[in-house]
Amino acid sequence: MNAERTEAAAIDAAIDAWAAERRLPEAYRARWHALGEGDRAALYNVASALRLRTGQFAAAFDLIEELAVRAGVPPATILAGGEIRRILDGIGSAPGRARELLEALRAMRFPRLKVAAERIAAAVAALGLPAEIRVVLPRELGSDEVRVEISAHGGAQLERLIAAIAGHRAGLGKIAEMVGGAHSDDDEI
Amino acid sequence: MTTRFELDALYIEEGERSSALAARVIAGLPAGVAVRYVADGRVAARPAAGAADPFGAGKRRMIILRRRSPFVMACPAGSSEFACCGYLIAALASNCPMDCGYCFLQEYLADNPGFQIYANYADLFGELDRIGRNAPARAIRVGTGELADSLAFDRLTGISRDLVDYFARREGLLLEFKTKTDEIENLLAIDPRGRTLVSWTLSPARVFTTTEHRTAPPVARIAAACRVLEAGYKVAFHLDPIIAYEGAARDYLALLDDLFDAIDPGRIAFISMGGLRMTPGLRGAARRRFPRDPMLVGEEVMAPDGRMRAFTPLRVGLYEKLRERIKLADANLAAYLCMESPSVHRRVFGAAPPAPHALGARLAGS
Ligand code: SF4
Repeated sequence: MNAERTEAAAIDAAIDAWAAERRLPEAYRARWHALGEGDRAALYNVASALRLRTGQFAAAFDLIEELAVRAGVPPATILAGGEIRRILDGIGSAPGRARELLEALRAMRFPRLKVAAERIAAAVAALGLPAEIRVVLPRELGSDEVRVEISAHGGAQLERLIAAIAGHRAGLGKIAEMVGGAHSDDDEI
Repeated sequence: MTTRFELDALYIEEGERSSALAARVIAGLPAGVAVRYVADGRVAARPAAGAADPFGAGKRRMIILRRRSPFVMACPAGSSEFACCGYLIAALASNCPMDCGYCFLQEYLADNPGFQIYANYADLFGELDRIGRNAPARAIRVGTGELADSLAFDRLTGISRDLVDYFARREGLLLEFKTKTDEIENLLAIDPRGRTLVSWTLSPARVFTTTEHRTAPPVARIAAACRVLEAGYKVAFHLDPIIAYEGAARDYLALLDDLFDAIDPGRIAFISMGGLRMTPGLRGAARRRFPRDPMLVGEEVMAPDGRMRAFTPLRVGLYEKLRERIKLADANLAAYLCMESPSVHRRVFGAAPPAPHALGARLAGS
C-alpha cells in the first residue's frame, strides 16, 4: 500500500516537473492530475518517451481523452492499443514518432473521415490529371465546395489544361458529388 | 407523464406577486421548494456565484418575472443562407429544466441561466393581434420552443391552455409547441380547433440515454403525440440534432419505423431534420459539463459557418437515408432541413429549398 502511494507520488512529481519544464498550461496540468493513477502514468510515459512538445502533448491529450470517452474506456486502454504501442516501442527518432503518434490518434479519432478522404483522394488520383491541375478538397470535408486550380504559363498551356479539364468533366463531377455526400459507403454512415 | 423535474427554489418578482401565473405555480409547487420574492427577477437569473455548474444550477431555479421586451422575435435560423422553415418565435420562457448535452442554451444563456417564465405572457396576444392586422393575408406560424421547451412544467404554469385558446379563435395563425416532454394533460382538456401543432424532437434510445437528461423517453414522446393527435392537434417531429455516431443510420431508421408504426405518416404535418452543430464555444461548454458524453466527441469538423458539424459526406449520407425512408412511408409527407445550405438541401431533396414564407404558409395552412 505504502509502495503504491510512493509510486503515485513519484508520478505526480514527474508530471509536475514535465509540465513546468514545458510550460504546460495549468488547465492541462490539472486535467492530467485528475486522471486515474494508471492513466496519469501512461500519459507521462508517452510524453517523456516521445519527448512531446507542449502543443503536441495538448493535442494528443485531447485526442486520447475524446477517444476514451467515445469508447467508454480509460485513457490508458487507448494508449495500450496495438497501433499506439507499435509507435511507442518503435526505433525511429522521438520527433518522428511523436508526429506518427498524432497522426495515428487523429485517424482513430476520425475513422470514417479518414476512409472518406482516402476514397475521394484515390478517385482524384485515378483521374490522372496533369500536374498543373489541382483539385482542392474542402478542409476535413467540412463543406461541399470543390475547387479546381490551373497553373499555366502562356496561352497555349492554359488552353491545353482547360481542354484536359473538359475531358475529365464527368470524373470531376463525380468527385464533387462524392464530396457532397453521394456514393457514401454504408459503413461510413 | 414520465418527466419529473427538480426545483431548488422559486423566485417571484415583487411586481408579479399577485399575477395569475405566480398563484398557479405556488399552488402546484412541490413541498419543500423555497419561495422567495425579489425586486428584479433578472438578478436572480444570473449565474450563482460559487456553483460548480452555474448553468445546471440555473435550471433548478424557477423565476417568475415580467418580460420587458417584446415577446415576438424572428427565428434566429432564418437567413438567406439557411433553408429553414421561417417562423416567428414567442419567447415565453428562458432555459429549461431538462439538460441535453448538446443544448445550445448552454452557451446562449451562460450569463443568464435562471429558468425564467414571464408572468405577463398574455401581452403576446396583443403583439400577435397587431402583426395579424399588419399582414392580414399571411399565414403566421408562431413557435414557443426556441429558448425553452414549450411544455416543460406546463402542469405548474398552465400557460399552454391560454395559448391554445387564443390561437383556436384566430384565423391564419398556427401555434407550434416544441417539446421533449410528455406533459400534455392541459392540451387534452382543450379543443385547439386545428390551430395548434405540437412537435416532438425525437432521438434514438441511445442518444436519449447518454445525452438527453431528464427528458421523456422517445417512446413516451411518440405515445404523447398519438394522444394529442386524437385530441385534434396537428403533430410534427424534429430529427434534430441528428448525431452521426457509428450505427446512427440504423438507429435513426429504426426510430422512424417506430414512429410510422405508431402514427399514420399521412397525419404527420412535417418532419424536420438537422445535423448536430456546435460552435467551438458551445462544444467547450458542453464538454466541460458532460465530460463523459460520447455523443459530444463524434466526427465533427469545422464547417464554413463556424459551427462544428459531422463532415459533409457523412452528414448528407445520413440525411439521404432518412429522406428515403420518409418518402417510402409517405411520398407527400413534408420534410425539411434546418440550418443547412441550399446546396445540401438540393442534394438531399433534389430541389432548391422552398422560400421560408412558402414553407410557413404551407404548414400554417396544412
Ligand atoms: S429539452 Fe431542448 S431546451 Fe431543454 S435542455 Fe434539451 S435541447 Fe435544451
